[in-house]
Amino acid sequence: MLKPGDPAPPFDLECALDGRTARLSLAKIPSELVLLFFYPRDFSFICPTEVTGFNKALKEFAAEETSIVGVSIDNVDSHLRWARELGGIGYPMLADPDGSLASAYGVFDENEKVALRATFILDRKRKIVFAASCPLNIGRSVSETLRIVRALRTGRLCPADWTPGVECGPTDRDF
Amino acid sequence: MATVDPAAKRRLFERLSSIREIVFGVQDGVLTTAGVLCGLSGAVSQHSQVALAALASTAAGALSMAAGAYLGARAETEVLRAELDLVRADAADKPYTVQEGLLDELCKEGLSREAGYRVVRLLSTSPKALESTAEAKMFGFSGPTFGKPALDGIVMGIAFLVGALVPLLPYMFITAQRYDLGGALAATALTLFGVGYFEGWLAHRSDRWRSGVRFLAIAMSAAAAGYLIGLAISPLGATAG
Repeated sequence: MLKPGDPAPPFDLECALDGRTARLSLAKIPSELVLLFFYPRDFSFICPTEVTGFNKALKEFAAEETSIVGVSIDNVDSHLRWARELGGIGYPMLADPDGSLASAYGVFDENEKVALRATFILDRKRKIVFAASCPLNIGRSVSETLRIVRALRTGRLCPADWTPGVECGPTDRDF
Repeated sequence: MATVDPAAKRRLFERLSSIREIVFGVQDGVLTTAGVLCGLSGAVSQHSQVALAALASTAAGALSMAAGAYLGARAETEVLRAELDLVRADAADKPYTVQEGLLDELCKEGLSREAGYRVVRLLSTSPKALESTAEAKMFGFSGPTFGKPALDGIVMGIAFLVGALVPLLPYMFITAQRYDLGGALAATALTLFGVGYFEGWLAHRSDRWRSGVRFLAIAMSAAAAGYLIGLAISPLGATAG
């Protein structure tokens, strides 16, 4: 699995967005940060809580200049039907049927042939600044991810359990 | 259109689940009693004493087998239920694990992921339906999986008794000493064949006679092996004596 500091592998893949098939390239995402989250499968009972959770928080992430991109090994047709099933998803869901993108990020589970439940945040230089993964049976926290995005955007050293409004440390020159 | 009556089928399956106790009990009753008769006939000259001893052995055997079947089924049921209770408690805390597990099983059986998802989602509208389907698909648990200890014990005891009476009755009622043991053994062989034939009939097999012969052969082989082992170790008894 790639770690903070590694350059983010680029992608140019088909995706489902707003009920249509589209194409998305990392190079063409204009936002300051990119939240790239991998999930195992469409049509499952844990993933939808994350997929819809990120969708509900879409505006809050947008306010932080952060684009959300979901990825799984399902194809675009599956993503389209899954998004419709979930009542519509406002961010692109990338199709990675051969798991090559998941493999590039080091989060492809060879036994299960699915992506791990992994989250990456990419900075403006498209370098990885945050990487984490959860077991396949545990959903990740949307609010924690948002907290990290906010902390990263301060560009400063943030103490444990930092939340907006809490005093930050000095500027982090690496960011 | 012909339909299946689920309640009738369920009752039939529950009755058929006793076949294990019936076959085991009859086979054991027949062979044990035939063995006792053979053994005692060689050692005791009084016909009535042999019959009485075999009768006592039959009563003890039937009670022992009934108790064994009851205790065995009870232990199995308790252990399985305890394990199932743990699974249910876990499922109550994390229902999605049950949903995901059931979805995986349905996909393994050929449903597409999307179709399986819809089935599980529909089942999830009734927690009871989800629970019972998941237990059956994921763990192979179903109602008849759990034995009925009391019933198993009674069936086993009666089956042993019936089996034991087969060699015992000819022995008791054929007064000519030349034929009493032969009659008992003939009845034993016939019964073993009959049990196998009956099992083949229940299983809707066309070659029921083959099922009967197989049952007879296995049971008699076990008895013969026991007899040969007895012969082989008998010098040890003489040495010890």
